[in-house]
This record gives sequence, structure tokens and C-alpha cells, in this order.
Amino acid sequence: MVAPPDNDVIWARSLHHSYNGSPGLSGVSLGVRDGEVLAVTGRRGCGKTTLLNCLSGQLVPQQGEVWFNSVPVHTMGPRLREQLRRDRFGWIAAEPQLVPELSTWENAALPLLLRGVSHRAAKKAATEWLERLDIGPLARKRPHTLLQSQRQRISVARALTGSPSVIFADEPTATLHHTERTQLLRTLTTAARSHGITVVLATHDAEVAALADRVVGMLDGRRVTNVSLPAASDTEGRSACSLSV
Amino acid sequence: MLALRLTRGSHPLVLMRRLLLAAASAGVGFLLLCTLGYASGHPAHASSSVLRLLWCAVPLAATVQFAVAVARTDPSTRPRPGLFASGLGPARLALLAAISTAVSTTLGSMVALLVFLHLRGDLTGLPFDGGAAEFLGAGTPLPLAAALTLLALVPLTASAAGGLALRSRPVAPTDAQEAEDDLAPAPAPTGLPWGVALTAAGLAVEAYASRGSAGNPFPLPGRLDSTPAAVLAGWTLTAIGLAMAGPGLTHLCGRLLQAVRPGAVRLLAGRVLMDEASRIGRPLGIVCAVLSGVIAASVLWTGGPRPFGPLTALGAVLVLGCTTATLLTTALEARQARARTAGTLLRLGAPASALRTAAILRALVLLVVFVPLTWAIAELAALPLTG
Repeated sequence: MVAPPDNDVIWARSLHHSYNGSPGLSGVSLGVRDGEVLAVTGRRGCGKTTLLNCLSGQLVPQQGEVWFNSVPVHTMGPRLREQLRRDRFGWIAAEPQLVPELSTWENAALPLLLRGVSHRAAKKAATEWLERLDIGPLARKRPHTLLQSQRQRISVARALTGSPSVIFADEPTATLHHTERTQLLRTLTTAARSHGITVVLATHDAEVAALADRVVGMLDGRRVTNVSLPAASDTEGRSACSLSV
Repeated sequence: MLALRLTRGSHPLVLMRRLLLAAASAGVGFLLLCTLGYASGHPAHASSSVLRLLWCAVPLAATVQFAVAVARTDPSTRPRPGLFASGLGPARLALLAAISTAVSTTLGSMVALLVFLHLRGDLTGLPFDGGAAEFLGAGTPLPLAAALTLLALVPLTASAAGGLALRSRPVAPTDAQEAEDDLAPAPAPTGLPWGVALTAAGLAVEAYASRGSAGNPFPLPGRLDSTPAAVLAGWTLTAIGLAMAGPGLTHLCGRLLQAVRPGAVRLLAGRVLMDEASRIGRPLGIVCAVLSGVIAASVLWTGGPRPFGPLTALGAVLVLGCTTATLLTTALEARQARARTAGTLLRLGAPASALRTAAILRALVLLVVFVPLTWAIAELAALPLTG
């Protein structure tokens, strides 16, 4: 076992993972530096989500190593990985994934409440972040009364409230329209940079990836430097149609 | 055919729920056939036979309630956006549920017929041949049409109720719509005042009716020769009141649980209880009513020469079993409905033990509120009759 470099907050080596035989990741190595915004780009189904799941300890890779701050994650038990996610990581998904029974501020304060922080302190931290993300007035509303973009901001606030070391954002803007998309991403990256939080951002959108410090491309479960595929010839489609199926 | 194929591939727990439903249906079918046997054996006691038939309505209602709960939790009738796209919408899903309910309940009815004929002595070759021949009216021919009508009663009512229950359930056409529907909270229950009023009125009617001597007999077959009809009416009112008050009380429990600076576990437990109140509250109220009835009855009839007959016992077991199973199945339905939220919480790193603790806390609070309530209602119901 090789110890990871010191300046990497997350370090992964030759990750392999398949879902019941269907390939997910086939040999991805990656280092994430402290405080950077790293974009993982690639088309749908190229293994971005699987990679993020492995890095954040939700999934144990079948082969390969994941290290967080020089601590091996791939050898941890489920309980330790749970605690790691609770204490050190934040997660933003494509869907806001809010708890419908809780109000806006309670949703944002959930990571702190789960850590056992007092009600008052959790509320204070959550309200501060909600105000910074311009959704302070909505603090007492339930998610079902809000717009999708507002819900996604709550999800961002929830990830930030726990003051994590790393935030994993898996296509955080997939369900949003263009204007809301840029605004949400700028807010996230600005907040992360000003608080020294590392962000691993999975996206298929080159425009989104442009906001990152560094971009890692993926194709069919492998890390690649050039994502573009050879252009298909014009007649291929037509000849495929002539096949009898 | 699709319903049968789906049944074949389903999980053992799902099959067990269906077997329980079949058992309940068999029990009710057996009771109905016994009534028929009694009626054909005692043509002179027509009113007594009608009374027996009417008493069968109580286990029948409990079985139908259980059938609806089973149909609602059945994974094969769960709305799936992929199947919606290929035309398996609410109407077809309701049909599917009705067919699978009909299959299990008809199986039960068949078993009931076989056991009945066997105990009468019409089928031979097994132990207990004709074990209760006289009791079940052996010797008189059984009218075929009547037997079939009675046996079809449970499958028909249960599958119709199951189908209708699923028909009225909203089906989300897409994943996005489903996520949106999951966010919308259930409306807060409003039946608490009515429930309390009805319960109080029922207890009052009962106390008033049992003031005089026991007149107007409305006997339970086997025993309870002198229960006045008004007392039964009072009990019925109390039971309806409890079923109506159940959701409101559950909501109140949830509200109390999450009050005053809650931590994560108390917050989640309380809010979920508030949200699930309308789903879980009604079966809980019904179980509460049935239990209080059983307690009151056992207080009344202890010390008698022969407390109750075997058929009354079977009916009581059926009603108790079905209502309890309905409550448990509904709790399972609530859990299925919250699977998405549970996944979210686990992804955030919520310990699985926290989710379990929240569930245990909910159950405890409900027990703390509903057990004394059941006991108090039972005592109040029995008080005028014993005094």
C-alpha cells in the first residue's frame, strides 16, 4: 500500500467497480487538492456518479484505494464511513433531496442536528447560510411550497452548513434552467473558495466545468484527457437504417 | 395472467401477507357456512339464524379492511413510471389489485368449504371426520346456491374494495412528478372533535340503555343472552368515534413529540408521525376500539358458566387478528412511502440507528397515549353493565 501525497485531500488509485457485471469504473486514479474546485466531466453513463459515490464513501470500490486526508476510506466499515460523511463531507445531488416534513431551515440544519449540535446553534448556522444564499425569508416554509431552484439552494445551504472539508456535487444543476444554473454554481464555488472547502463537481456541461479550477475528463469508466469521440460518418445512420432488424 | 405471474415472482413476505388474507377469508367463509348449517338444521329458529348471519358482518368488515391494506402495500400494484408509459395506469393497476385479492380470498373460501364439509362428516378419510357433525347441522342437505353465495361474499367485497381503493390513489406518471408528490404533505386530520363527541355519545347511550333491566335481547350466538340492542348501538358509536379520533390523536402525539427544541431524532420522529397521522391513525383507532371491546367483554363474562362458544371465539380472533394485521400493514405502507426520505438521510450520513430510534420513539409515544385510552374506554363501557 502506497501512502498518498500530502497535499491531496482525497486520493484515489485505480478504482474498479461494476454493477452486477455491468462496468461502472475501470481503473480511475485521481487526486483532489485541498481547497480546489475540481470538475469531473463526461457524458451520461461514463461513471461520474459512481466515482463520486466511491470518493464520498457511499460505495466501496471492488478494487482500488480511496484515501481521505491520509486515512484509508476503502477499508472502513459502514459505520465509520457514515460518520465520515456526516462530519466531513457534504453532498448535493441533481434532485434537491429534501426531507418533506421539515421546514427550510430545519432541512439546512439537518447535518448539524444529526451530529448532535444544539438546536439553537444549528438554527443560527442554518439561518446564516440561508441568508447568504438569498433564501432567508423562506426559512419557515415547507419544501413543497417552493420552486425547484429555491429547493436546490436549500440543498446547497445544507451541504455548506455542516462546514465540511469536501462537498460532492453530482450534476447539481441538472433540473434547473440556464439562468438559475449559473447563479447557483457561482454561489457554490464562491462560498466554497471563501471558506476553503474542496468541491468535486460532476457535470456533463462544458460551461459548468469552466467555473472549476481543474477539469478531469471521463469516458466509459476511464479517465481521459480528450473527451471528444471520432466523428461519425454521414452515411452511417442511413446504412444502419437499411439493416433489417 | 399478469397478476398470477407477478404473484409467482413476489417476495416471501408479500406472499405471507396474501396467505394471511387467505386465512382470514377462510375464517369468515367458515363462519358464514356454519350459519348456513345452523339455519338448515334449525328451520324453526329463523330469527336466531338471521342474528348469527348479522354477527358475521363484523369479521367480514375486518377482513375487507385487511384486504384493502394488503392491496395498497402490494409491490406488484405499486405505480411505476416505466409501466405507466406502457399503459399500466391507475385503472389497470386497480384491476390487477382486484384480481390478486380475488385469488387469495377465493383460495381462503375454498379451504373454508373443505374444512366445513370435513367437520360435518361429508368428506371422509382424515382425522376429525365429522368432529362437529351435529353442531354444524349434518344430516340436512346444504343448499348449494346459498353456500356458493355466502362463499363468494368475501372475494367479491374484498376485491371490489381493494380495486376501488387503488383506483382512487393518485398515480404519478413520471419520476419528477413522483418526487414532487412525495414532497406534498398530507392534510392535517380534522376528525378529532367529532371522534371525541361520538365516543362520549356512545358511552352515554350505553350507560343510559343499561340503566333499566336487560330487555330487548340481541344475543351473540353462544352466549350474551341479554345484551340490549341499545348497548350494542352505544358500542358501535364508541368504535366509530375512536376510529375518527385516531388520526387527530396521532397528529397530536407527533406535535407533542417534536415540541420544545428537538434534536434530529425527536424532530424526525414527531414530524413523520404528524405527516403519517391520517394514514396510520384510522387503523390504530379501530384496533383501539376492538381491544377495548374485548377487554369490556372479558370483564363482563368472567365467571359465567360458559363464557362463549367456539364460533364466537373464532370470530373474535378473526376481528382482532385482521385489525392488528391491518395496522401493521399500514405501518409498512407508511415505511414504503418514506423510503426516498430514508435514503436521503442515510446519504447525509444519518446513522441507521437514529432512524431506528425515531421509529421506536414513534411506536412508544403511540403506545403511551393509546393503551391507557383503550383501557379507560373499556372500563367506562363495562361500568354500567357490571354495576
